[in-house]
Amino acid sequence: MAGKLEGKIAVLTGAAQGIGLAVATRYAAEGATVVLSDIDGDAVQAAAEGIGGSASAITADVTSEEQVAALIAEVVAQHGGLDIAVANAGVATVQPAVGMSLADWRKVTSVNLDGVFLTLTHAAGAMAASGGGALVTIASVTAQAGSPLISSYAAAKAGAVNLTRTIAIEMREHGVRANAICPGFIDTELVKPHKKTFADALGLEAMGIPDFDAFIAMKQGRYGTEAEVAALATFLASDRAGFCTAGEYNLDGGLRASLL
Amino acid sequence: MSDLELEGRLAHVTGAASGIGWAIAQRLAAGGARVAISDMDEAGAKARAAELGEGHFGVGCDVRSMDQVTAAIAATTDALGGLDLFVNNAGVEIGKPMVETEEEEFMTLVDINVTGVFRCSKAAVPALAAAAASGRDAAIVNIASVAGVGGCPLLSAYCASKAAVIRFSEVCAIELRDAGIRVNAVCPAFIDTPMVQRLAPAVAAMTGMEFGDVVAVKQGRYGTLEEVAEVVAFLGSDEAAWTTGSHYVLDGGISGGLL
Repeated sequence: MAGKLEGKIAVLTGAAQGIGLAVATRYAAEGATVVLSDIDGDAVQAAAEGIGGSASAITADVTSEEQVAALIAEVVAQHGGLDIAVANAGVATVQPAVGMSLADWRKVTSVNLDGVFLTLTHAAGAMAASGGGALVTIASVTAQAGSPLISSYAAAKAGAVNLTRTIAIEMREHGVRANAICPGFIDTELVKPHKKTFADALGLEAMGIPDFDAFIAMKQGRYGTEAEVAALATFLASDRAGFCTAGEYNLDGGLRASLL
Repeated sequence: MSDLELEGRLAHVTGAASGIGWAIAQRLAAGGARVAISDMDEAGAKARAAELGEGHFGVGCDVRSMDQVTAAIAATTDALGGLDLFVNNAGVEIGKPMVETEEEEFMTLVDINVTGVFRCSKAAVPALAAAAASGRDAAIVNIASVAGVGGCPLLSAYCASKAAVIRFSEVCAIELRDAGIRVNAVCPAFIDTPMVQRLAPAVAAMTGMEFGDVVAVKQGRYGTLEEVAEVVAFLGSDEAAWTTGSHYVLDGGISGGLL
């Protein structure tokens, strides 16, 4: 049975671990040639070797225009084109917005917004040159609502969603589709260390909710999995989603749907 | 990965004797599902089911009648041996200025597009919950529209009804989460259907632009029935097992841009 991404060339940022690695793994299983990129060169090399086959790794810092441009150019030079780019690289800090230093703010926005800009703009240019392609931004439902303690993360994700939409419209006539995925809480390394902090900030104890995991069970049924994000990222990158562009696709167990 | 991501699923699609509903029924069947087709046009529903072949089922149903809805769903679970995917597709449009729309026709549209979704969803829940309780992924997919996301002149009743379907889907998703039933909406833009072609002259007269030009500029091209069916197939599969309370647009970007 042919894979859903047979013959496609895909590049993914932040792919050494977590969601990025899960998406790369699924893309490879669906027949794509995947190029994993990450700021951590050793880890991304190991990740590509773990996937095996035609998977390869290129080290790049998404906050550097020079490095992102070189990444995209290298993918095109090695594989003769680019069909799919996944802007996934992201970081988070957990602290109140009031009192945050500009340096701390930029620590997050430089990766989560500037990095997405650089990835999308360079990838879209390469895709347009070879007849089109699909851009997938890994955003977050935090882009859609106030998100205490992660202001820089949520604001950057909101910016990334809007940028993705705008590029989709600018590039429609060049055959480039662009969509954002907005997952709810996945039990990743970005979330795990901060559960107690979130529980305290949200006043869970006062509501009789024992801890953050119980809160998640109430609000989104359970934690999502990286594989579930990868399934949606596969759909949106595939030709099945040919009329999907400038969209924002939630995947959150119902978290965003509820007012309460 | 197999193309048969819906192998063994037991589905019901309303308004499926023609148009988007028929495309969805074909796609679900191609994905391995057994499909019950319902439509006001009972003969059409049965003919389409026969066209899909053995194992599929056709039944007449007017979604304005709770009795007919209840009977059609009971007949589906009898014929298929259960139900784990329900697609609320039946819908109608009115294409005229709000001030020229009669109260009765507005109410009829709401009765089909909104209350019909409520009737079918309520009647389908026991069978869907039973499927979920036996460990299967159970889902409702509601066919809304980008008309439920943004305003479109001449479609006051239709836009209001589709916005209602999106919000209704959200509430169902939350209420039915513990029962293991996912509820999502799909929002297509202009697809090349008879419904859209009926609308085209009035939109052209109002905007002063050829309808085809509006479509080309705002959404690139017409979407296809098959593209709508692909999104339904994705949301109706266990690939989307954590997706609930969402509305997925497929619109060539028409709702994603400001201008």
